[in-house]
Amino acid sequence: MISLYVGSTSGYSGKSLVSTGVGHKFKKDGFRVGYFKPVGILPIKVENILMDKDAWFIYRVLELKDPIAEICPVVLTQELTVKAYLKDIKGLLGRIKRSFQRLSEDKDIMIIGGYGSIYSGSVSGISGLKVIRRLNAKAVIVVKYEGEFCVDYILQAKKDLNDHFIGVILNKVTHEYKQGVEDYIIPFLKRKGVDIIGILPHDSIVGSITVEELNEMLGGKVLCCHDRLNNLVEHFLIGAMQVDKATEYFKRTKNNAVIVGGDRADIHLSAIESGTECLVLTGELYPSEIIIARAEQRDIPIIVVRDDTYTVAKKVERLSVRLRLRDKTKVAHGMDLVMENVNFPLLYKKLGINIGQ
Amino acid sequence: MLNNFFNPKSIAVIGASRTPGKIGYDILKNIIQYGYKGAVYPVNPEAQEILGLKVYPSTLDVPGEIGLAVVAVPPQKVSEVIGQCGDRGIDAAVIITAGFRESGSEGTKLENELVKRAKESGVRIIGPNCLGVIDTHSRVNASFAAGMPNKGSIGFFSQSGALCIAVLDRALAEDIGFSKFISMGNKADISDTDIMLALAEDDNTKVILGYIEGVNDGRRFMEVASQISKKKPLIILKSGITSSGAKAASSHTGALAGREAAFDAAFKQSGVIRAHSVGELFNYALAFANQPLPEGPNVAIITNSGGPGIIAADACERSDLQLVPLHKETVDELRTFLPPVASFYNPVDILGDATAERYEKALYTVVQDEKVNGVIVLLTPTAVVNVEGTAKAIANIANLIDRPILTSFMGRKSVESSSKILMKYNVPNYSYPEEAVSSLNAMCRYQVWINRPDKTYARLDDLKEKVLHIFEKVREEKRERLSEPEVYEVLKTYGFLQPKSLWARTSEEAVAAAKRIGYPVVMKIISPQIVHKSDIGGIKINLNSKKEVGDAFFDITTRVKDIMPTATIYGVMIQEMILGGKEVIIGITKDAQFGHMIMFGLGGIYVEVLKDTSFRIVPLSHEDAREMIRETKTFPILRGVRGETEADIAAIKKSLLILSQMALDFPQIIEAEINPLLVKKRGEGVVAIDARFTIGGD
Repeated sequence: MISLYVGSTSGYSGKSLVSTGVGHKFKKDGFRVGYFKPVGILPIKVENILMDKDAWFIYRVLELKDPIAEICPVVLTQELTVKAYLKDIKGLLGRIKRSFQRLSEDKDIMIIGGYGSIYSGSVSGISGLKVIRRLNAKAVIVVKYEGEFCVDYILQAKKDLNDHFIGVILNKVTHEYKQGVEDYIIPFLKRKGVDIIGILPHDSIVGSITVEELNEMLGGKVLCCHDRLNNLVEHFLIGAMQVDKATEYFKRTKNNAVIVGGDRADIHLSAIESGTECLVLTGELYPSEIIIARAEQRDIPIIVVRDDTYTVAKKVERLSVRLRLRDKTKVAHGMDLVMENVNFPLLYKKLGINIGQ
Repeated sequence: MLNNFFNPKSIAVIGASRTPGKIGYDILKNIIQYGYKGAVYPVNPEAQEILGLKVYPSTLDVPGEIGLAVVAVPPQKVSEVIGQCGDRGIDAAVIITAGFRESGSEGTKLENELVKRAKESGVRIIGPNCLGVIDTHSRVNASFAAGMPNKGSIGFFSQSGALCIAVLDRALAEDIGFSKFISMGNKADISDTDIMLALAEDDNTKVILGYIEGVNDGRRFMEVASQISKKKPLIILKSGITSSGAKAASSHTGALAGREAAFDAAFKQSGVIRAHSVGELFNYALAFANQPLPEGPNVAIITNSGGPGIIAADACERSDLQLVPLHKETVDELRTFLPPVASFYNPVDILGDATAERYEKALYTVVQDEKVNGVIVLLTPTAVVNVEGTAKAIANIANLIDRPILTSFMGRKSVESSSKILMKYNVPNYSYPEEAVSSLNAMCRYQVWINRPDKTYARLDDLKEKVLHIFEKVREEKRERLSEPEVYEVLKTYGFLQPKSLWARTSEEAVAAAKRIGYPVVMKIISPQIVHKSDIGGIKINLNSKKEVGDAFFDITTRVKDIMPTATIYGVMIQEMILGGKEVIIGITKDAQFGHMIMFGLGGIYVEVLKDTSFRIVPLSHEDAREMIRETKTFPILRGVRGETEADIAAIKKSLLILSQMALDFPQIIEAEINPLLVKKRGEGVVAIDARFTIGGD
């Protein structure tokens, strides 16, 4: 049995995406695959069993059949976090080990999903590093590429993981960064003995958010087109200009949501006419029925939120760094992205798998 | 006060012009042609004689004493001219010249300079950028208006010169008299309140009429308006009131209180009669200037056709006026001379063939009825009706009795002459019945205002010292919001009952807390980053068991963490669940011009949709508190609908007075609200369920 730990040097780097993608590929290649999330941070109750939302999602995408209770043995609820701060909690690592053993009994490959960075979790004594060592897993590090400083983190992780380290996957490499990565970063990392297992380009669909998620995160109220909440928003625009400039501006960007004060009927109309994915009206100001009727005609959901435009803009800015893989369209697209951009022969080689050719 | 503006012994026109059509010429001409009796001195360095008067090169060269200076020189020269006025001992100047603050930053500089110079020189200023002033009694027309209104008892001041011209033009066409006409311009020195005070002291002015766009000092405005409104009707049209408001404030109160609310409250509290349109301003002025006030709300309508009678009756229904049933004797008397198919009840329909004589008899009979406080006479100009004869007949009776009679001779062409007859005998005539009704209604409300006993204020214990440290601490820590324990402490000190609350960090603690408080309980998230808890699912109510409390703890904390990963969760508050009662909202908000206001409205989650709220400016009198509760549309709900018992309205009133005191104690409060304030049955009090306080400034 081979264990692959998908870790990272920071949160929201694309671990779930990689776990799902490689899991899918392993299955396709005929392996018996299991998924294990030692520490969950997004509590959810499934059939009254405490689980992690991401783990539950991946479990279903990979169509696994293992007992739910074992998938995520430790979930960091508010409860557990508070208790850990107040008093050392013992025995968590042991619990993780036992669940892992039970799950991996009949598997060829176990994918272990990390949380946060490989250093997170020291409060409860279960950091990624400790888990990797205890489960004796191979670790691939997923890095959201945001500039050259990432290199330092990668080298530090390699050093800390030692023999467990098998390489990195650079994620979300935008068009602007691409050449620098190819010309400098990759040769450098190779020279330092770091294997590049994959380079995933930035993808606007994977980086998008559904209107429903957006509404939930902004604490808003949906006014119309409840059946269009799965619209995917890739970009956010602020409707603060004169109306004659607005339509042109909105049309320039694909799949946008327009954030605008609820009293700017002129901007609402031009956003609707330009075919936005969603109108986010701020200031708890409700639009007139005419606007709502027009939006319904064009199938454009409107959400009303309490915050002002600037606050909403700040919130969506933060949103983009903590996107979650949930929507079906996004998953299918994300898996394709992994398939195409991960060097699977190299990954297999590093894992010591000999695939009969 | 300001006597030299309206009754000067002599007038200097500085910047007088030889060229007809120029403002400096028109002003001089107006002063001369409308019969001003004092000396007039044109000043212009380049002219010798204008309109037969000797011209002086500068103010300093004028031989005699000068009472009023009217200035129409280019803006750059105004300051200097005012300095010279000071040197000559002139204390009143009307500055017509434009090109000051209204024209941009350069103009603003000039205006500041001008104000400074005027102060140093001891010259008071009306304007700049105004039309001028007119006094019909002293025959001063120091303006470039096209005409001079009749003598009358309406004193009009306006921030807009254009509106002055429009009002004047209509006044001329309809022979409506004015006492004074003052175009305020930029109000660089003399303010609305100064003019209001001057008009209040003026014996020729019975009614004060004003158009304002904004006031500089809201408090002073209220103070002056309250003083004046007890003596004379003060009718004001305020523009610029629509909500521009996209700024989402941190609580409901802020979101609902626009400037409109502040002005509305200020007008109500200081007895200002508010006109909502230029038409209303005019209509009210005519009624107040010409007719006595009604002693009560009972009104009778006399009409020669059914439709207008019904329209008038509908309008009364929407107002404070009552269509009073006439006495049996009155009805019997009407029967003796009206045709049998006439309607003898109120509205009295004397039929389309009514003659002047029938109108006169009917009106005479109706005013004999002592229940009737005022009469509205309607007329449709049918072919058989003698409109002028009827107008005279009505005017005769109106002048005999001391109750208000308003008319609406409908239409225009065939009633034009009769309308003038009515005006001549001080009976205001309106084109449509609704205008007559709303004017009489305004008079009726004013009558209530002037007969209102003096306001009484609550005496509350001095509690400020006890919570001062909390506000100090918030300020020292540079926070804007009081934490929940702080809010709890403040409200408790000021005597608000609050649900029993215990803080819990874990589900076990939550369960223990619920047990101590007693089921059912409410659970709320506690996080400094979360203001509106219910928006993100941070509140669960009616938890009845250990399991429900445990599940709720998991749900709330998980949900908040999911939506706001960066929020710090301190834990949850377990609160006693108060059952029954009605939710209202009360709050404090701060207006830039009027300061603190108290808000009242129906509470709960629908507050922002219904917007059924009322406001009053601090300090609140007992009467203010009572009125603001009754003013809301939802008031009957508090009274109890369909057999419900009445809510504790007295306790709401007391809560409002306490908030008013709090606002006085802590000027730094920008916003505060208790929402919901749960009102129990009469005698059982109120409970503050949730509240927040925002402070700022000094």
